[in-house]
Amino acid sequence: MPRITASTAETVDSPKGPVHLAGMTDKTPVTVLTGYLGAGKTTLLNRILSEDHGKRYAVIVNEFGEIGIDNDLIVGADEEVFEMNNGCVCCTVRGDLIRVVSGLMKRKGGFDAIIVETTGLADPGPVAQTFFVDEDVREKTRLDSVVALVDARHIHEQLDRSREAREQVAFADRLILNKTDLVDEAALAEVEARLRALNPLAPITRAERSRVPLEQILGVGGFDLDRVAERLPADNPGHGEPGHVHDENCGHDHHSPDHGHDHHHGPRGHAHQDDVKGVSLSLERPLDGQAFTRWLDRLLAEQGPDILRAKGVIDVKGEDRRLVFQAVHMILEGELERPWRPDERRWSRAVFIGRNLDEAALRAGFEACAA
Amino acid sequence: MIPFEAPVTAALFDGAGQAMFAGGDGRVRFEGGAETEAHEGAVLCAAAHPSGEGLVTGGDDGRIVWSRPDEEPQVLADLKGKWIDALAASPESGLIAAAAGRQALVLDAGDPHFRRTFEHERSVSDLAFDAKGRRLACATYGGVALWFARIETQKPIQLKWAGSHTLVALSPDGRFCVTAMQDNQLHGWTLPQGKDLRMGGYPAKIRSLSFCARGAVLATSGAHGVVCWPFTGGGPGGKEAAEIGHDDSALVVRCAGAADQPRIAAGLNDGRVWAADLRAVGLKPLRAEKGAAISALAMTSNGARVAWGDEDGLAGVGEVPA
Repeated sequence: MPRITASTAETVDSPKGPVHLAGMTDKTPVTVLTGYLGAGKTTLLNRILSEDHGKRYAVIVNEFGEIGIDNDLIVGADEEVFEMNNGCVCCTVRGDLIRVVSGLMKRKGGFDAIIVETTGLADPGPVAQTFFVDEDVREKTRLDSVVALVDARHIHEQLDRSREAREQVAFADRLILNKTDLVDEAALAEVEARLRALNPLAPITRAERSRVPLEQILGVGGFDLDRVAERLPADNPGHGEPGHVHDENCGHDHHSPDHGHDHHHGPRGHAHQDDVKGVSLSLERPLDGQAFTRWLDRLLAEQGPDILRAKGVIDVKGEDRRLVFQAVHMILEGELERPWRPDERRWSRAVFIGRNLDEAALRAGFEACAA
Repeated sequence: MIPFEAPVTAALFDGAGQAMFAGGDGRVRFEGGAETEAHEGAVLCAAAHPSGEGLVTGGDDGRIVWSRPDEEPQVLADLKGKWIDALAASPESGLIAAAAGRQALVLDAGDPHFRRTFEHERSVSDLAFDAKGRRLACATYGGVALWFARIETQKPIQLKWAGSHTLVALSPDGRFCVTAMQDNQLHGWTLPQGKDLRMGGYPAKIRSLSFCARGAVLATSGAHGVVCWPFTGGGPGGKEAAEIGHDDSALVVRCAGAADQPRIAAGLNDGRVWAADLRAVGLKPLRAEKGAAISALAMTSNGARVAWGDEDGLAGVGEVPA
């Protein structure tokens, strides 16, 4: 081997040259898997790890230790929630994840994806914020989505009883309604209606025994600004609600014989008043860009701790491009995206999911931004 | 030099001023050309061995390994299933400390049977010995625990400050303990009183803390230049830091100071490396062309040589022009 020297020429002329290894420069996508106790997370992870997918995944679980399974790797983490010195809850991160993810990124070859399993009682906020707040993590990875598993049979009771269960559902980019074989269609429709009210942004995928196609979990792009628009509800009421039109976002097989469109009997049998809910706003007139930005900044500054997720596509007066944004608590990302297409309905839509949201005040504030 | 097949995770100098490197592919390489396969997974951290020969590495295979140019790697400890997150070593006391989860483990380079384990409530993110190698500082969430490294049963001195402390350094005169924090600032305590010092204003994460010039200056990364704090007299309280080599187009992601001289080196996120003499004007480029971000950097105690490694696995060593 040649002697190491300061000569840059020698470095460049080395047998392999300056190699850019795959995975070292591209950001590794991260999927966060949440779900209340008994929702089927472990079964799902075991399925992912045992499937012949030809990929290399790292799974971060809550038990300590490290196990390699064929190509994949399971690493234990400790759920250490760190608050920043400024005391801001919106800057709360998972310190153990910073450590584990930074360590994984040092490995040869990298990973096709990282899957983070949270405990059944975890608040998904700090997990998600870790991927925006810490520089090392942000440089090497990108948060792809938060997927929540829901136990179709027990979720009503869990949502009634547990704030964590409600927030896991509300925070998610995709909901996997699991154990659907254990309840009937009417009950499923009722569960879906409640999930939709908690989270109008996340498509619901029905599953039995955690059998979910991997592409429903990986590569969802839940924090991707380019994909904000496709997640916003159209004029289509939520799955399970009267008037709902089943589309590709429903995530279940439309041709299955047991898929009955029997929504007429009023699926919202329970009078659930969840403290967490989604508020959908829309306006046909263009918005004043500055007024909207001011309103959104102020809203997140004042109510950020209570706002779990927000997404929107805005028609800004005098601007040919769509303004898209997404937020996690106080962390806001936005950009002017592609131009509106001539054949496209040009309107502004936004969804806020959070605790104790004042729907009337949100609507009034949003509409006051009209140009 | 053949690049590592993963990011370079450590660059160090041995007692004779020869460069040593470790990488995410588990390999250790020496300036003379020798190389060893020290770990099955990635090398996460490293320190020069207290003897002055070779280096000690900590891996995600749970092992602490001593590698020398012409010897078989020697496993000093094996904490199966754990990751070794940080290492420190003291030539003065011959002790080696390792962080694994909430534990700090202390080994003696001269006594294979010596072992101390110090438990913490939160994970240990970094370790530092004092100048004599008798005391060990362990940074965790919420502050620093100061231990007597050889004593088996004791209650550590707790230096508390809210927030996550990611790096720790003790000044050579033992009067200051300084940490880097998750929220882009430094925190310091005077010793033994424990008076707090806050040093802020960094635009980026602080990944290096290095006392240089016999402790007169603390050099830090995390800005567009190397931020140097004066630690003479009463310390940096009320004083302003000097920013060396400010460049708007890049960030200093690693820095290293010469222990005995007012000389520093910087590794940038655009791959460049330079050195500077704090008594003179001007930067001395060591790697001028841009590339992957620098991930490891070291300077000899006299400030004459600098070793670096980057995220694409390239490593190099250079003489600082006089």
